Amino acid sequence: MAIAFVLLFFVPSLLSAQSVLDLMLRGQRLNFQGRHEEAVPLLKQALGLNPDHLFARSQLALAYAKLERRGEAVTEFREILRRDPEDFFARTWIGILTERPLEKKPEAPRELSPLQRAAIEEERLLLSRLEGGEGLLRLQINRVVIDAGHGGQDAGAVGPSGYAEKEATLDISRRLKALLDSRTNVKSFLTRDGDYFLPLSERTTVANQYRADIFMNIHINSNENRAAHGTQTFFASEKASSAEAARVASKENAIAKEEEEFQQRPDFIDIENILFQFERKLYWSDSSEFAETIQDGTGAQLGLKDRGVASANFFVLRDARMPSILVEVAFISNEQEERLLRQPSFRQKVAETLLSQIQGYRRVSQQ
Amino acid sequence: MTGVAFAQGGGPLVFEAAREHFKGNLPRALELFQEVAVRDPQNTYAQNQLGLIYAKQERPQEALRAFERVKTQDPLNTFARLWIEILRLKLGQMGQAFSEFEEVLSVDPENADAHYYLGAIYNIRRNRRAAIVELKKARDANSQEPDTHFRLAQAFHNADMVQNALLEYTRTIELNPKHTKAMNNMGWIHYNRGEREGAVALWQKVLTLNPQDREARGNLARAFNDQAREFDQSGRRGEARAYWQRTLQVDPKNKAAKWNLAHLN
Repeated sequence: MAIAFVLLFFVPSLLSAQSVLDLMLRGQRLNFQGRHEEAVPLLKQALGLNPDHLFARSQLALAYAKLERRGEAVTEFREILRRDPEDFFARTWIGILTERPLEKKPEAPRELSPLQRAAIEEERLLLSRLEGGEGLLRLQINRVVIDAGHGGQDAGAVGPSGYAEKEATLDISRRLKALLDSRTNVKSFLTRDGDYFLPLSERTTVANQYRADIFMNIHINSNENRAAHGTQTFFASEKASSAEAARVASKENAIAKEEEEFQQRPDFIDIENILFQFERKLYWSDSSEFAETIQDGTGAQLGLKDRGVASANFFVLRDARMPSILVEVAFISNEQEERLLRQPSFRQKVAETLLSQIQGYRRVSQQ
Repeated sequence: MTGVAFAQGGGPLVFEAAREHFKGNLPRALELFQEVAVRDPQNTYAQNQLGLIYAKQERPQEALRAFERVKTQDPLNTFARLWIEILRLKLGQMGQAFSEFEEVLSVDPENADAHYYLGAIYNIRRNRRAAIVELKKARDANSQEPDTHFRLAQAFHNADMVQNALLEYTRTIELNPKHTKAMNNMGWIHYNRGEREGAVALWQKVLTLNPQDREARGNLARAFNDQAREFDQSGRRGEARAYWQRTLQVDPKNKAAKWNLAHLN
């Protein structure tokens, strides 16, 4: 009785397994003999019984390749790669077969999922409203993440009369956001909207979270020399442009020194890596250009000394996946500038000036 | 003889070279492909692979020469032509590369790769509409490449078209279940829609696939800190503490979590 039970359950699957193996071996033999047309139906039949049989699939792909049915061969090899991304044989064949244009095969219409239907409806409503057109290769700015430097237990620099950098940066950032929201169609986001501490790594994460086109960090400068004054803009680069830029970066980075450097995943050099490197280089040059635009005339409009643009290796700018700048609005260590920073009207003027520079950059980009 | 014909004619050396290349043994792969190229100077696959290896070895001029040889030999070899333009991108010659991608499209209007690179460039320039248009063409011409779906998802994501972005991220992950970048980005869509648990689950999945994934750790730390701050502000200290502790599990030196835990205690 027990034997009969076992046979009832296992014989069909055993038969099926034998059939797959048998079909696959016959297909392989036919391939070897150059009888690829005959191999195809047998191998397809094998895969019908067991779609996970990667060897049968590679034999089918090979048969297609030898029959010059390259599109079908590539589809099968890709299916193998989907199931086993490490399969170098399939990868090599895809490389060989896709050197030249493939023949196209029309796809049969399929029933749409709810998400597909929602996506089609969304595209119908939104795509035509998007800005940007063919040939526009300058950076387009439609989303800005504004980072108010310091916060919480990290007050940043403190002026002679006790005004803290974290207060000024938060207020200017909020004002700039309000202006962008009310006067432009640029979407803006703040990394922090209160007096709390954010690690530098989290600030960059917020910029990535909101997919910012530009990441603007608002800071207030300070120096042991109380006479130092003026406004300056920095952008990220591998090396500091001057000893002074290195000093400022070192001051702003101090908080990051103890943050753990996670070991980065070793990446292999491939096309995505090249695109990534290209992207990063471009972002550095965009950052430099954007920094120039922001700095240009800002000092004059604010009645402060123009200290120009400099580059340095800022932690907060380094990991952002978009052009990033850091504006040092004025020197809080300078009595006169601290007095200005304490005035809401001055902070509003700073926000208005930054807004006008962003708008200037956008106008040129959209031409 | 084309690459296909060579492989058909029995080219074990090609596959041996390809295996070494895939394993990352570039010097050995280079030697083997050079040998193939000497035996069969018309083998475009070997020449293209030589170009790729030179590119990986940061020898762009030699790579360009290898691809140019193929282009001269076979003007329809879009692989070589595309790589010439990719190397131009690498050398920072964006304008030149851009117009030549368009030239590849004049040879092969449905070339998925050319549409892909144009779309990728537009994406990097945050030109949302043009990026979506080009990447959709790439997707429609060749819907099996995970990175095509990923870049298209990014373009939709940049444009706040989240249904389309979700659809394309999902397709990316279906095609490559280990595509952690898609999971990281998809998590933000859930998170920004208030679906925090879904986001956290995705980022945790990334960490199971790659415990060193810095981005997923950063995302989780951000999510836990956010939640902790909300609890703290509403006076729910116990829950805030639990979330800051969770932050430290993924980011043991997170200064915000450490300070706040010390402050709560």
